[in-house]
Amino acid sequence: MIDYSSCVACQECGQLHRYNPVAPGKTATCQRCGSVLYRNRPHMLESVLALTLAGLVLFILSNWLPLLGLRAQSIEQEFHLLGASIAFWDGGYHVLAALIVLNTIVFPLFELLALLIVLLTIRYRWEPSLAIVLFRWMRELKPWGMLEVFMLGILVAMVKLGDMATLIMGTALWSFAGLVVTMTAATSLLEPFVVWRELGRDKRVPTN
Amino acid sequence: MYPQTKPQTAREAGLIQCRTCAGLSHPPAVLGKHEVMRCPRCGAKLRLHEHNNSIEVTWALLIASALLYIPANTLPVMSYYSLGAGQPDTILSGVFRLLGSGQWPLALIVFAASIVVPLMKLITLTFLLISIQRKSHWRQLDRMRLYKITEHVGRWSMVDVFVIAILTGLVQFGNMARVEANSGSFSFAAVVVLTMFAAKTLDGHLIWDITRQEERDK
Ligand SMILES: [Zn+2]
Ligand SMILES: [Zn+2]
Repeated sequence: MIDYSSCVACQECGQLHRYNPVAPGKTATCQRCGSVLYRNRPHMLESVLALTLAGLVLFILSNWLPLLGLRAQSIEQEFHLLGASIAFWDGGYHVLAALIVLNTIVFPLFELLALLIVLLTIRYRWEPSLAIVLFRWMRELKPWGMLEVFMLGILVAMVKLGDMATLIMGTALWSFAGLVVTMTAATSLLEPFVVWRELGRDKRVPTN
Repeated sequence: MYPQTKPQTAREAGLIQCRTCAGLSHPPAVLGKHEVMRCPRCGAKLRLHEHNNSIEVTWALLIASALLYIPANTLPVMSYYSLGAGQPDTILSGVFRLLGSGQWPLALIVFAASIVVPLMKLITLTFLLISIQRKSHWRQLDRMRLYKITEHVGRWSMVDVFVIAILTGLVQFGNMARVEANSGSFSFAAVVVLTMFAAKTLDGHLIWDITRQEERDK
């Protein structure tokens, strides 16, 4: 059996590498396929934490402010995200209600809260078992949260509605755009390699 | 570029690499038939290399989505009723309708997301599966990049499903105007979801692994 504690395997092709710390701002790449193995980003955890907190504020704003106004035949209606979903559910549009709630409320909130707990666990050296489960689920569910695709869908729907009714962009649409940008930035800044290493290290401390 | 000693993969070193956290671990000496192996670091399910059925599962998902691709594109996905008269739209005629109203940037986005991306995904995944099964040495790096792109753009195809869902819900003005989702939209949503699963089940390491195996056999 070989000692693999100092080995890093490329996530894309499986190539084994010996772990060598890199200088701040530098990236270690796979020698076979060139994928990123790990990066040394100073203050990475703090930056992601700041983005997560900003994301939570934007999330609350997005759900509190009106999302869309609809004007047709002199009737004007205002839609809030949650209110609209409940109205759709009551009106028999269960698939639509579920799609909205999942993509704009459940997935983003889960991702933000999971990220917050993971980052705080690393920062304050809490017991990591909850953070490990949350971070794993966050990574596995990532492709199914489609907030930005949903926002594009709203945009296309607004244009298609053009001749039937007038849609008025609500303020929540802007905070949603901000939320998409914040979460994208947090995801691209986050170093899973560092997170897993930190979460693993905490676990070993009491047994050593 | 490679060092003198032949580079090793996790598989060649007899280690199991977790696909969720990239953590390495030793496989157990014996594994019962119904026992599940879990990653010691993150708790995700692990699979022995011998039990890797990625190719078979991906083929099954791919064939199912290719079959559903036909009704998804020929059946109407959405009908717009105005004053009692219905007007069904397929995905392609919806694109032309956007184009007709002068919205060519959006028409382009919908065309790319709903028609180009699903078709490209079907072709790309078929190509990757065949090249893996033929143990192809041909441009592994480019094939890996192709796989990564396929994996990441797939979700944007959902945009048409969301548009239809939003329109059916928003347009409820008695019998003046009504929007109805048709069976084509369900086939289309199934194609998108199945191809997303297919991209996820295809094991990108196989593009490289088989080549290694062959190199050693020579
Ligand atoms: Zn690699
Ligand atoms: Zn793992």
